[in-house]
This record gives sequence, structure tokens and C-alpha cells, in this order.
Amino acid sequence: MTDPTFPDVVNLFVPGFIGLILIEFVWIMFKKREDRHAGRYETLDSLTSLTMGAVSVGLGLVLGFITWGFLMALWWITPFNLGTSIWAILACFILDDLRYYWVHRIGHRSRWVWASHVNHHSSQHYNLSTALRQSWTDTFTFMMIVRAPLVLIGFHPALVLFCGGLNLIYQFWIHTEAIKKMPRWFEAVMNTPSHHRVHHGRNPRYLDANYAGVFIIWDKMFGTFVPELEDDKPEYGLVHNLGTFNPLRVAFHEWVGLFRDVFRPGLTLRQRLMYAVAPPGWSHDGSRDDSNHIRAKYVARHPEARGTPGLEPHRLGKVSEAEFAPRVSPVSEPAE
Amino acid sequence: MPLEILLIVVAAGMIGITLMLHLAGQTRAFEIADEETARGEWLRHFPDDEIHEVTLAPGNNAALIRTAQGPGLLWSLGADTVAYHMAHPSARACRKGLRVEIGDFAAPAVTLRLPPEERIRWAARIEGTTP
Repeated sequence: MTDPTFPDVVNLFVPGFIGLILIEFVWIMFKKREDRHAGRYETLDSLTSLTMGAVSVGLGLVLGFITWGFLMALWWITPFNLGTSIWAILACFILDDLRYYWVHRIGHRSRWVWASHVNHHSSQHYNLSTALRQSWTDTFTFMMIVRAPLVLIGFHPALVLFCGGLNLIYQFWIHTEAIKKMPRWFEAVMNTPSHHRVHHGRNPRYLDANYAGVFIIWDKMFGTFVPELEDDKPEYGLVHNLGTFNPLRVAFHEWVGLFRDVFRPGLTLRQRLMYAVAPPGWSHDGSRDDSNHIRAKYVARHPEARGTPGLEPHRLGKVSEAEFAPRVSPVSEPAE
Repeated sequence: MPLEILLIVVAAGMIGITLMLHLAGQTRAFEIADEETARGEWLRHFPDDEIHEVTLAPGNNAALIRTAQGPGLLWSLGADTVAYHMAHPSARACRKGLRVEIGDFAAPAVTLRLPPEERIRWAARIEGTTP
């Protein structure tokens, strides 16, 4: 039986990416006088994002055989074939989105995968060009393993990758400040600009939230959903922002940091492993802050925020804000 | 889409968008106009810090910040700012002023626009900031 073929939808949509960026920028220019949160562009920031996207597409063409070979090996051993009917495509799309949720969640909670994904969050801007700031190193995170169940239950690798491409295209349009809220029913089920702005926020309450690709229901099901609050506008970028627009440094800075930590002298084997796979911010001596610590410190500075969305006690982990109360001065916080 | 067409579309798109943004004035650098701005920006990056002293660069593109948590440098990067604590910085004179190396892969070097008479004083202050 011949293998099914599906179009490379991401490459086909490249002119759409460019056209929509132009439209968004013109829209922002028109709206900016009446709405200062309509969005903003910066030349070098956007050029960096476009470069990251272009190289990412190129690397996909060059290194795609690794993922393809792995999935085809699984296809060869699986006895199941769900075909390519419209129902199979629909089921694959939904299950692939669930796969995306978990890969994305792991991408924020394990430094090995974060080292690859971090560049997508490295812009201090949030516009359609940010969507194209894609990883160059995701093949080396080996997260293609999470696609294995889809192939093993009978979805052909070509179909799985086709659905992954559609997922990526869906996520393009949600990288914008130009759209405030979609209709309520849509916000309830689908990932939207509002939900994804939260995901890109470096505000303590928004860290590690809204991992969804297409359907926001996964976050609601697995307890990672945080709504966008009117009085806490997302501030974009990393907890420690990069001091460069150089795409090579953007792509590899976290890998460099990771390997420096793993190979620093005087650590146990377990500590070296933890520097590679523990959540970003983990350190063997507690000298760095992970997202639980960042949230706990924020709550220590803003006790009134305790229990509000994103700052519920379970999102502070085992960290107590009382631990920081004497050290964190409320007067050091800028006016909000 | 054939590869050669894809390459042309990508190259044309990147050049077109970059030109449009530049011509529309989106290349303007963030101006660290005064101490208050510098403090606000530093605390945006390090909300837990207690600031002791702010020294603005005459070009309004950077500021030396002394905090209880150690010395640091704030500078404009495009339309935004970035801030780094400095452990072992080095500074050397360059054509525009002073080139400061922080020793961090994610923030390789910063060029501070400084008049010639300010360069030595700033270099001494930066290199003397080892905590």
C-alpha cells in the first residue's frame, strides 16, 4: 500500500505569514493613537524573529528526515492503520493538539526542552513576527517521542506531521495584541490572542500557564489555565531578558548556560542531571529562582494578590511567601 | 512550493518588512531620560532589588545601578531596555565611547555613548563594581 501524501502546509503558508504581518503593522499604526495597547513593532526585534523563522524552516527541510525516519520506523511495526478519512484527520488533529499541550508543558518545565523553546519567548514584543521566532534545536530535544503514541495507534506519520503543521499555522494569528477578546464561546474552547498573551507574559502570575496550541480546554482540564486580567497587562519577554538581537545567541544562549552548569566542577551526578532536566531556575544551592519562587516573592510583595488567578497557593509549590516577607521590600516595586 | 520560490518569498518578505518598519520609525532606541525612568526600568527587570544609586550615561542609553544585591548596568536595546548584574565586567574605549563586556553569553557587549572626558571615569566605575 502506498503512503498517503499531505502538503507541507507551513511552507505553503509563508506568503500568508508575511502578508498578515504587514496588515497587522498597518493596523497598529492606525489604532495606536486611540489604544496604546494595540501592539508595537521594533525593527531589529522583528528582523531577529523573521531570521529565526526562516532558519527554522530551512532546518526543518534539512533535519526533517530524523523525525520522519523515527515515525516511519514506528509505522512499520504498528499493526494498526486508521486511514486518512475526514474522521481520522479530525481525530488526529485533536489528539495531536493534546500531544502539543504536553510537549509545550514539558518545554517550560524541563530545562533540556526549555533550552530549545526559550527563544520563542525571548522577544519583549508580542506581535505576529514573534510567532515566527521558532526554535532551531527542537530536533535535539527528542520530543518527537511524544508523537509515537499517535503513530502506534494507527495514524500515518504523514498525517501526524500534517496535523502538526496545521496546529502551527493556527497558532500564528494568536500572537497579537490587535485582537482583544474573541466571542465568549470561542474563548471558552479555543486558544485565542488573550489566552496566548498570558502564556507569553513574564508577570509572575502568568508564568507556566496556557500551554495550549489550538484548544484551550487542555489547560482547563489539567489545571494550567490562567485568564488575562485587565489590571495586570502581560509584559512580554523572559524573566531575564537577553541583551542581544544576534540570532545565534538567541538560539543557543540557554544551551550554553545549561552545559556550563552541567559541567561546572564540584557537583554530584544527580546535581548535573538536575541542571539539565529540572525546571528552569533550579540550582543546586538554591541561589536561583524558579517560577514558584518568583510567584512566592511577588505574593510577599503583594499580599493582596494571594489567591487571585495565577497566584493560588498550589501555584507556589512548596514555597511559602512568608519565607521572603522580611527580605522583599514593598517600596522597591514600581507603580503599577 | 518549489524551494527556489520559497527562498525568494522569504528573502523578499524579510527585506520588505524590515524596510517598512525602519521607514516607519520603529528603529528608535529607548531613551533612559532620567533617574526615575532608570529606576523603573531596573525594577521591571529585578523587582526584588533595592536601588542605592543611579548614574545616567550622558547619551541617555545606559545607566549604572548600584543595588543592595550588587552593581548592574541598564541599557537600551532597541525600543526596550535590558538589565544585568555585573560580576566581572571589563570596559575599553571605542570610537563611540566605551565598550563594556559583561561576560554573559546572552548579553555579550554594550557600547555606551560617552564623550572622551567621561570614558576613563566610567571605565573605572564599571571595573570597580566587582561585588
